[in-house]
Parts: sequence; structure tokens; C-alpha cells
Amino acid sequence: MDERTQNAQAEREQIIQSLTRSILDAAKPHIDPATPQAEIDKRTREITERLQFESSVALSELVTRFSKTTPVDAKPTEERTFLRFGRNFRAQHMLMFTSIILLILTGMPLKFPEFGISKFMIVTVFGGLQNSTLIHRIAAVGLIIVGAWHLGYIIFSRMGRRDFWLMIPRPQDAKDAFHTVLYYIGRKPSGPKFGRFSFIEKFDYWAVYWGMVVMIGSGLILWFKEMFNKGLFDIAREAHSDEGLLATLAIIIWHFYNVHFNPEVFPMSWVWWTGRLTESELKHHHPLEYAEIVNAERKAVELRAEKQSASSESGS
Amino acid sequence: MRLQILLILLFLAIGSQVAAMERCLICHGKPDFSRVEETGRKISLFVDTTIIGHSAHSSRLCTDCHVDITTIPHAKRLEQVNCRRCHYSGNPVGAPQGELYDQYAQSVHGQEVMKGNPKAPICQDCHGAHDVQKHDSPDSRMAKKNRPKNCGSCHIEIYATYRESVHGVALLQDSVMDSPDCANCHGEHNIRRPSDTTSQVSASHVSQTCGECHGPMGVATKYGIKSDRTATFEDSFHGIAHQMESRTVANCASCHSFHDIRPQDDPKSSINVNNIVKTCGQTDCHPEATVQFASGKIHVDPHNKDSGLVYYITKFFTILTVATLAGLFVFIVLDLFRRAQKSRGGK
Repeated sequence: MDERTQNAQAEREQIIQSLTRSILDAAKPHIDPATPQAEIDKRTREITERLQFESSVALSELVTRFSKTTPVDAKPTEERTFLRFGRNFRAQHMLMFTSIILLILTGMPLKFPEFGISKFMIVTVFGGLQNSTLIHRIAAVGLIIVGAWHLGYIIFSRMGRRDFWLMIPRPQDAKDAFHTVLYYIGRKPSGPKFGRFSFIEKFDYWAVYWGMVVMIGSGLILWFKEMFNKGLFDIAREAHSDEGLLATLAIIIWHFYNVHFNPEVFPMSWVWWTGRLTESELKHHHPLEYAEIVNAERKAVELRAEKQSASSESGS
Repeated sequence: MRLQILLILLFLAIGSQVAAMERCLICHGKPDFSRVEETGRKISLFVDTTIIGHSAHSSRLCTDCHVDITTIPHAKRLEQVNCRRCHYSGNPVGAPQGELYDQYAQSVHGQEVMKGNPKAPICQDCHGAHDVQKHDSPDSRMAKKNRPKNCGSCHIEIYATYRESVHGVALLQDSVMDSPDCANCHGEHNIRRPSDTTSQVSASHVSQTCGECHGPMGVATKYGIKSDRTATFEDSFHGIAHQMESRTVANCASCHSFHDIRPQDDPKSSINVNNIVKTCGQTDCHPEATVQFASGKIHVDPHNKDSGLVYYITKFFTILTVATLAGLFVFIVLDLFRRAQKSRGGK
């Protein structure tokens, strides 16, 4: 609580006290002199409490009416945030989920044509198979662009190269997964400590990687079927349809659980939009990465101090 | 006394019936009784009593149908005989009746008659006039084996095509009574144009119609023909597109053709190896079709081992999907379980 608020509160208290006194003074001529002091004290307390209550209601009304800051904005201090996903990576993710949602909406009804909703989606929502297959192909182009874009990103961008390197599964990930299960069943007091990418995130990433290869590969065969033979078409169709279902279920169950429905992040983790994690989030979810960052910062500060002292020494 | 009078009256009645027939046959019983039309065509007016005697109407009088004859000699041009004079619901003579007449009225034949098309068939054209038989009589024009020829008397080219098709050969030459005649596909009284969406042979219904025999419950298995044809069609993109109300996509008839359906090894068959590229490559289908594209199995069932690699890919993905999702599911449940425990103040 800062000094100004403290002063204001004290002032309010004084006003309430003086008001109580003047009310009592005004009432004195009418009070029976035989009334015991305890009764008078009790009434006095009641008057004071009532005045305190009324004044705080009036105050809060005033604040909400005239204040520029809403209570949510008026959070105590801004927490430090860390950039987790750059603009480039966020754009890739946005294009990808837009494409994938469209692909699922136009693709799934064809895997389950016997469901009433499938016919409703294709015929009523998309206006017939001609349109829905066109949208499916447009969205497929979106997905192919994401695939190529990401490939370029992990080759040509420094952050992309570093993240790709960190994404590669290591024995530690298997240990972490095992550790997590032990934690879940109560055999370990806490979960494993993750670095930049947990095994959960690595699974998500590689599932998408494999899915993209299967879906784009088989999808192109289906698209340009006249160039291939019927046997290959049948294989591509089966793979496309089955992997499509697997990917859809994995996204809805696993990815959505981790980034939406998990009680910790519900209704959703906003990192896809802001790209940022707060200090406490980073510390909680990626303690090893946090430690690394803090270490690096400390080292940089030390190095700068050393350099400064060195330069001042040499300068003198 | 009263009985005698009744008996006399009865005899008189029968006598007058016989007399009525005989009176018609005075002229119509002569084999060379004929009329020459203005065009010079000679039309026989001979009525063969043996034919009528064998017909379903053997006990009827000429005037029961030709009701506009009241005097002899009668008018030169008689009115068309109207079968519904007897065949209506609740008729007193016990003539068969039913919804078939209404179906006929809605059919393409009935509709054309209403429009005044002189070529459109009425009851007699299919069922016969003096030779009309009960529908279950093997001599009937509508008997299974006679039906193609009967329909063919108007649809002559189609009859010629059908007769050579696998269905026609089976029925007409090999007497396979399960083989479809015209009516199995087109219906009997409710025949409609293929362009009519309610027609059994419209694009929207043709796979159902073929499936009557070639589906899982069909008769085709009896003859060693696979019965998964409609199921595999429905699972194919063509079949799914059908369910999604696309009518430009291939149905059974698009590939197998309709009246000219032939077995695959027949060089004239639309699904013969040498013709299949042309069949797939129809302008509205896959004009850029190549031999490669059109080769290979068409009706593929991914759950059948005969489908080769497709079968194993299906199996692989089934296992992969079930295993992955089971794992993810267990993880989520355990996670939630742990969270619940923690929020309840557990360790």
C-alpha cells in the first residue's frame, strides 16, 4: 500500500470519528440520563461501523465510475515476461491451424458419410461436394506452404535452427515421461523439470511432422490421381483417411487438453497469440530453461562489469 | 312353380349369353374377316375363340369389355376398352385391383397417355387384349421370360442390346430366373424416366437398385458373383459423393453401362481391360485417364486380405491410432486424477 492511499484512509477514519461525535452530541439532549454507559458505547460503535460501510460503498462507486483503470488493470506490479515464440513462428502456427481446421471440417464428413452431421456439413454448410473439395484443396495448399515455410525456418533462421535442435528427442525425454507417470500415481513428490521443450511438446511437434509428411504426400497422390495407378491411389486414400482421423483425434484430445482444457490453462494458453510467458509460468513449466536464461543474464552482467572495470582501469 | 320360373329364367340368361357370343362370331369368327384402311393396310378382325378361351377373361362376353356395342351391326370405330371399368377397388365381379393403376397413372407411360401421346402404352399394350393372362401364368406376356420381348415391342433397340447383355443371356438363353428382366430395374407400373429423381434407375437410386441383387443380401452370391459390390462402391469416393448428393459422380451404370452390361472378359464390355481407360476417361469423368490410372482393382475392400497392401496399411493405422490414443488418454486421466488429489489437499 503506498503512502497516498494510507493518508487517504487515515483521513477518512478521522472524518468518520468526527461525524460519529457530532451525531452523538446532537442526540445528547434526548437521551435518558439513566442509560448505562455500556449501551451508549455499543450504539456509538454501531454508528461508526455503519458510517465506515456507507463510506466504502460510496468510495467504490466513485472509483468504478471515474477511475480510468479497471480493477483487473490495477494489478500490483507488471510481471516480467519472456518471448517464447517469435512472430514468424506464431504466424506459421496460425496458418497451420486455420488450414487444419478447414481440412478437418471438409475431410471428416467424407470419412464418416453415414452420419447426419456429415451430410449437413457438406451439403448445407459448404454448399455441396464441389465446394467442400475445393476448400479442402485450398486449405491443403495452406498446409503445404506451412510445411515448406517451416522447413525454411529450421534451416535459415537462427531461432529455428536452435529450436529444431532442442526438439530432437533424447533419452531424457523417455525418463521424463516415466517420471511423470510415477508422479501421477503418487510415487514421486513432484514432476520432472523440463527445459525449453517438454516431452509432451516434443510429441506434439513430431506427431505433426509425421502427419504432415503422410497427409501432404498421400493428398497429392489423391489430387493428381490421373498421374498414378489405381493401386497407389488406394494406398494413398487409406493412409490419408486413417492418418487424418489419427491427427484429428490427437489434436482434439491431446493438444486441446494441454493448451485449452487442462485446468491450469483453461480456457486457453494465450502464448499462441502473445508469444510470451510470464516469469512464474516459465519458472513453473520450463524451470531448466528459466535457470539457463537467468544464468546467462547473470554472466552477461558480470562480463559487462568486468569489462567496465577493465576499461576504467585502463583509462585511468 | 316359382323354382321352375327361376330355372327357365336362368337358362334364358345363359342362352342369351351364348347367343351374344355367337352373334359376334358370326362375323368375327371368320378367319379372313378384315377391314382395309384408307392407307391400303389390311387389318384382320378375326377373333380366335381359343385365345379368349385360354385367357383370364374366358368367361367374359365381348360386350363386357366392348361396352359401346349396343346394336348389331355396331359402329365402325369402337372406343378403346377401359380396363378400369372392372378393375377398381370394390368392384362386384371380383376383378383384381390395387394401387398399381394409380402407380401407372403416375408413371412415364401413364403421364404420356394423359398428354395424348398415341404411342404411349395402355394396359392392353403390355398385358394383351384378347390374350390377357393372369400375371402368374407362364404364358402371360408379363411372365418373366416374356417380359423383355414384350417391352421390346416398343423399345426395340434396347431389347436388342439387353438380349446380348449378361442379364439378357442369363435369362433368355440360360433360363436363370434370378436374372433381372426390364421390370427388376425399371419397376412395373411405376416406371419413371431416368432423369426423374424418384426413378429406380435415376443416378440417386441406381446403386440401391443394383444392390438388390449385388448387395450383401442379394441373390448374386448364388451364382458366384461377389456381393460386396455396393458396399465397396459406397465406401469409395464415388459412393461417398453420392451420399453427399453429388450427381455428376460415377454410379454403377457409369462404368458397367446399363442395358449393355457385360462380363469383364467380354471384349465388348465397358469394364474390359481394353475399354476401361475409355470408360474412366469419359468427358465428364477423368478425361486425362491413362492406362496406369485405370489399371488395378476397382472395388477394393480395405478390410479384406485380398486387397494386399491396403489391408496392411489399414491394420497398421488401426493399431497406431488405438495405441496412441490409449496412451494419451491414460496420461490425461492420470494428470486429472493427480490434480484432483492435490486440490483435495493430498500430497
